[in-house]
Amino acid sequence: MAEATQTDFQPNIVAFLCNWCSYAGADLAGTSRTQYPSNVRVIRVMCSGRVNPMFVVNALQEGADGVLVSGCHPGDCHYMQGNYYARRRFKLMRNFLEYLGIEPERVRMSWVSASEGAKWKEVIEEVVEGVKAVGPMNKFQRRQLNW
Amino acid sequence: MVDVSKLRETAREIISREDVRELIGYRAGTYGFRARPAFVYDPGEVDQLIFNPACVNNLATYITLEEKLPVPRGQEPDLRKVAVMVKGCDSRALVQQMAENAYERDRILVIGIPCTGVVDMDKVQARFPDVLGPGEISLEGDKFVLIFDGRREEIPKEELLADKCKRCRFPTPLVYDVLLDEEVAPFATDDYSDVEALESRSQDEKWAYWEEKFSRCIRCYSCRNVCPMCYCNDCILDRLRPQWIRRSVDISENTAFHIARAYHLAGRCIQCGECQRVCPVEIPLMELNRKLYKDVEELYDFEPGVKVDAPPLLSSYRPDDPEDFIL
Repeated sequence: MAEATQTDFQPNIVAFLCNWCSYAGADLAGTSRTQYPSNVRVIRVMCSGRVNPMFVVNALQEGADGVLVSGCHPGDCHYMQGNYYARRRFKLMRNFLEYLGIEPERVRMSWVSASEGAKWKEVIEEVVEGVKAVGPMNKFQRRQLNW
Repeated sequence: MVDVSKLRETAREIISREDVRELIGYRAGTYGFRARPAFVYDPGEVDQLIFNPACVNNLATYITLEEKLPVPRGQEPDLRKVAVMVKGCDSRALVQQMAENAYERDRILVIGIPCTGVVDMDKVQARFPDVLGPGEISLEGDKFVLIFDGRREEIPKEELLADKCKRCRFPTPLVYDVLLDEEVAPFATDDYSDVEALESRSQDEKWAYWEEKFSRCIRCYSCRNVCPMCYCNDCILDRLRPQWIRRSVDISENTAFHIARAYHLAGRCIQCGECQRVCPVEIPLMELNRKLYKDVEELYDFEPGVKVDAPPLLSSYRPDDPEDFIL
C-alpha cells in the first residue's frame, strides 16, 4: 500500500451542494455530458448555510480525503443570506484546520450557479488535483474496529 | 491593590440590599496560596471575602452555571440580582454573555475590581512546592510578596504573572456598578507572536505538535465546564442523537472534540484562560482559542466581549466579507 504512487491515488471527495444552484449546476454538467473526475460524492442540502462545519470534520473522520461545500453566488441565495453565513463559517474553519495541520486543499468552497455546468467541471478538476497533490488523509480518521 | 476592608464593607452593603439574592466572590482556599470562589447569602458571611493576586477564577462562569429549576405552582421565581466580583478579563465574559442575551443587565450587580495581574498557580507551585499551610500573596510595586510558614519571599512580577496577564488589554472592568479601586491603565499589548510562530510551521510539523497534545486529552470536559461562554443547555458534546463526537478517547474523537470546542467559541471566547488553567493534562487550549480570536479580529474586525449590543459574529455577515478562498 505504501508503494502506491501519487498518480494511483484516487481521492474520495464529499461535496455538499445546495439544492438551488450548485446541485442544479452539477446536474447540468451531467445532462450536458461533461466529463469530469468521478471522485466526488454529492450530498444535496437545501442551502450552503445548512452545512454545519462539523459536517466537514465528520467527513474527514469518516475517511473523506477532501470536502467541498458549494452554494449560490453571493446575492443569489434562494434564502437571501444563507451563503453569506456559510462563507464566514468556512473561512474560519478552513483557517483553523490549517492551523492544526490539515492541508487547506482538503476543505474547499465554491460558488456554482445553476447555469454553470462548465464551471462545475473546472471546480471539481481543481479540487481533485489539489487533494491528489496532498495525498491521502492520514491524520485523524476513525479507527476501523475489527472485533 | 484592593483594600480588603473596603471590599468587605461594599459586599456587606450589597448583600444587605433587598433586591440582591447572592454574592459571588473569593475566599481563601484550604491549602497554600490558593483562593476559591465564595457564595455569600448573608451579611454575616462577608468577612471571609478576599481579593489578592491568587484570585484567578473567572466568577462569571457561575452566573450561567446555576441550575434553573422549575418553580412550583403558586410560587414566584426568585428574580433578585446576583452580585458578582469581576476582574477586567472576567468582565468581558459578562459583556459577551449579555450580548448573547444569556440574561438581562438588571439581573446582575457587578462589583468591578481593577486588576494589576494575577499569578499563575503552576508557576507558584513550581517555585514553592508543598506549601500546605495558609499562605498569602500580594503585589507590591513590581514584585509579588509571598508570606508563608513564617517566611517572606519577594519574586519579580514577571516570573509568576499568568500568561494571559502579560497580554491583558482590559485591566479595568468594562462593565460595573461599583468599582472597588482606581482604574488601572492598560499595561500590556498583544502581538499574537505565539500564534504566528505556530502558523509559520509546515503542515506536518503542526499536526505532529497537535497530535501529541490531543492524544493526551482524557476528555474530562473541564475546559467546557469552566468556560463562562459554554452555557448551552444542550451541548453537542453530550448529545447522543446526532452524536457529533463519539465517546471513545482516541486521536480521531479527541481532535474532533477540540475542533468543536474551539470553533464554538469563535467570536465568543474572551481569552480569560480558564480552560487552559483547569486542563489536567496541560493542553495549550488558549493557542487554539487565540488563533480563532486573531482570525476573527483580522478578517471581520470583530472583538467579542467589548460591546453589549454587538451582533453575534457567526449569525451576522457583511456582503463584502473576504472570499479569496472560494473557487
